[in-house]
Amino acid sequence: MKKAIVILLLAVVGWALVDAFTHVKFGESRLGDLKNPNTVGAFYLQKTAPELSVANVVTAIVVNYRGFDTLGEVTVLFLAAAGLGSILYRRKEKGAHDTMILKNSSQLLQTGARLIFPAILVLGAYVFIHGHLTPGGGFQGGVIIATGFLLMFMAYKDYHVSHNILTWVESLAGVLFVTVGFWGLIFGGSFLKNTMGTGVLNDLLSGGVIPIVYIAVGFKVAAELTGVLETLLNFKIKK
Amino acid sequence: MVISPVHYIALPLLAAFLIPLFSKINRELVRIVPGLVLAYLSAVSVILMNRVIQTGQPIIETIAGWRAPWGIDLVFSPFTGFLASIMTFMALLIWLYSYRFKKVDHEPALKYYILFMMLVTGSTGIVITGDIFNMFVFMEITAIASFSLTSFYRDRDGAEAGFKYLLIGSLASTFVLLGILLLYSQVGTLNMAQIAERMHDVPSGMKITILILFATGLGIEAEMFPLNGWAPDAYSQSPSPVGSAFAAIVVKAGVYSLIRVIFTLFDVHGAYEFLIIMGIITLVISEFTAMKQTNLKRMLAYSSIGQMGFVLIAFGIGTKEAVFGALFLMFNHAVIKSLLFMSGSYFVYNNTSKEITDLSGMGKKFPLLAFFFAIGAFAIVGLPPFAGFWSKLYILIAAADNSLLGLVAIILMVSIIEIVYYFRVVAKLYFGKPVEESITHKPTIGGYISMSILAAVIVIVGFYPDIVTGFLHNAADALLDKSGYINNVLHGAGELVKL
Amino acid sequence: MDPVLYNKIVTFDIYGSAIGLILIGLYALLVKKHLIKMVIGLSIIDSGVNLLFIAVGFIKGGTAPIFSPKGIELVQKGVTMVDPVPQALVLTAIVIGFGVTAVALSLVIRLYRHHNTARIDNIKSLKW
Repeated sequence: MKKAIVILLLAVVGWALVDAFTHVKFGESRLGDLKNPNTVGAFYLQKTAPELSVANVVTAIVVNYRGFDTLGEVTVLFLAAAGLGSILYRRKEKGAHDTMILKNSSQLLQTGARLIFPAILVLGAYVFIHGHLTPGGGFQGGVIIATGFLLMFMAYKDYHVSHNILTWVESLAGVLFVTVGFWGLIFGGSFLKNTMGTGVLNDLLSGGVIPIVYIAVGFKVAAELTGVLETLLNFKIKK
Repeated sequence: MVISPVHYIALPLLAAFLIPLFSKINRELVRIVPGLVLAYLSAVSVILMNRVIQTGQPIIETIAGWRAPWGIDLVFSPFTGFLASIMTFMALLIWLYSYRFKKVDHEPALKYYILFMMLVTGSTGIVITGDIFNMFVFMEITAIASFSLTSFYRDRDGAEAGFKYLLIGSLASTFVLLGILLLYSQVGTLNMAQIAERMHDVPSGMKITILILFATGLGIEAEMFPLNGWAPDAYSQSPSPVGSAFAAIVVKAGVYSLIRVIFTLFDVHGAYEFLIIMGIITLVISEFTAMKQTNLKRMLAYSSIGQMGFVLIAFGIGTKEAVFGALFLMFNHAVIKSLLFMSGSYFVYNNTSKEITDLSGMGKKFPLLAFFFAIGAFAIVGLPPFAGFWSKLYILIAAADNSLLGLVAIILMVSIIEIVYYFRVVAKLYFGKPVEESITHKPTIGGYISMSILAAVIVIVGFYPDIVTGFLHNAADALLDKSGYINNVLHGAGELVKL
Repeated sequence: MDPVLYNKIVTFDIYGSAIGLILIGLYALLVKKHLIKMVIGLSIIDSGVNLLFIAVGFIKGGTAPIFSPKGIELVQKGVTMVDPVPQALVLTAIVIGFGVTAVALSLVIRLYRHHNTARIDNIKSLKW
């Protein structure tokens, strides 16, 4: 009975959505006039290369034009880690480390993980350092690094990352982001304003503060995701 | 150093990032730093509100140096600034109240203060931002902080309440995101002023779909019926300071977002009637349910939902007097409901059941607390000479002026129900037989200070409502002045205050 | 093939699958009784919404919005770039979805430890 109501409801919702989206033609350009930008999309495509010297327009949007959203997003991650810590808190007996993974995995996984792990770290670092030149950026790079750690967690049941280091990296990266913002406020007149010279398009050192912010974000995301994974894995269910 | 609205967001963030590091230096810092930040922000509120009222121009701050609509802007107008100031002051008082409220280990306390500050930051951010996706991000910040804070205590059903809240809250964000998506595809911008400008080009079928998506998504946070199933559990299972914060801060942000979308962004006929109808349904159903409650906190929660329904009705009427009354009610509700939560929770401090019957005779043991609770109860049902009387009066006058006499009748009838269930509690407090086994906790000094301040505000505003009516009139004007908002954001100057 | 029909199929291809994902996720959320399945449903809804977002930004024949040397060459040849804004918004939305999922899973863990069951009909201490 309940299933029938739900399916009916879903049919209504689905039909309404499909109907709404027939007005949004797939593949049609809604950017308007590219020379005299009327929409934000066209404006960003026009102005990123000349004014910011950043090749990846999406990075420029995420870090500069809509940098405030990124600040909020970084906060969401931080909050998720804090919330996890508060919800799963248990008084710890001294020195005990319990884990949900009960035995070591196969030899194949262990050796493979140890081989691939450094490569994954390098790949992740590459992605977030070159965020302004190639697709990718802080978030993507941070997630790649966290995946590397996940691989190690799954391969070795006693693999641990020191929570202390993670906390320091997290907090310092966050402080760096807000400091860059305040720097912009004090010396540039508005929060997060780009106060460094922008350099030449497609150079590694172009874009002013944008690479700096994205690198900080990369570290922060990597540290946070690894912390979250570790918190979720460090839980023994009492039988 | 420039005093600007971005301090509301950036400073608590900085403090939150630094708190884990502070705790390695000195553990007490963890509890004190939020208070300092909130005190500073209250001072900032006073300065900014002063500036805004004097010049009559809202303060518009651009982020990252890109003017709206190419960048994100923060708008501190008499309306948004008023709400942000209330939230900051209430947060300061709630912090004072929660300082050493209950004994918790250091680790969770650290997380608590971080989450609490982010709750306030998220709500303030919702109110002062001028960009619709930014508003969504702040909504999520508030939401995640609320989910975690609801499940804070281990010895209650916090996890269930938190999980239920999470499921419903995530559905809300999904709907809002879908709404933003459709809106962006039609107008090509995310800035609220520019969306308002371009709204009349959007085909009306799409407008209605988008409005429905937004109303459903934002209505969940604004506790509109039938989307408020999460609220009673969240209010009753969370720690009391958090319950006060939900009532005074979070739900105001929810109502603000709904109102901003309907008043400024959309101009659909029937949106206002919709608000009135939903408000009436919310009001009536929750007040009746409140009467049936035996658990004190759930009763307060349902009462809170009902008051929000009342606010929606007043906004729905839409005239200047009605909006003025709605804002007055929001202000009063924040102050009064917090006082009720604060004093009420000390009565049921150690009993997990929190039944009203446990309150028997506490009036004699804790005269001051009972007095505070009584003031709160009298104020919220609208008795003169307390503050609640004026807001109810203004809304009733506005309804009568628009010949909505049926509405007047409903409101009066509901007020009688409110009187019944509130006075029931007060009578139990003073005239009930004391229950011997109940051990209660004496309130902290911080708790006494905050409750006294709130009680004083209720009484003072009750006798001299003119103290706040100036601010409220400006706020009402700012909300209703849609073209003024658009002009100021897109074409105006809006300078920052230098100190 | 008739362009109108082609357009309809392509539209419902991409939009349809994204909307389908949302509906599947909603179904899992509302009907399933196992807590983890509900969380998975939530995750699927997020994926569907993000996919829909990016699909809205697509422009036929467009290229990635990156001004690499190859990109500049393509622009000069007259190829348009896709709308970068939905991509930036989706980045944020994915991260937020991750945060919510993490908190949801931790709540599930706590509920499991407390009640020793992960099915919602056994945990009815709060009326739905």
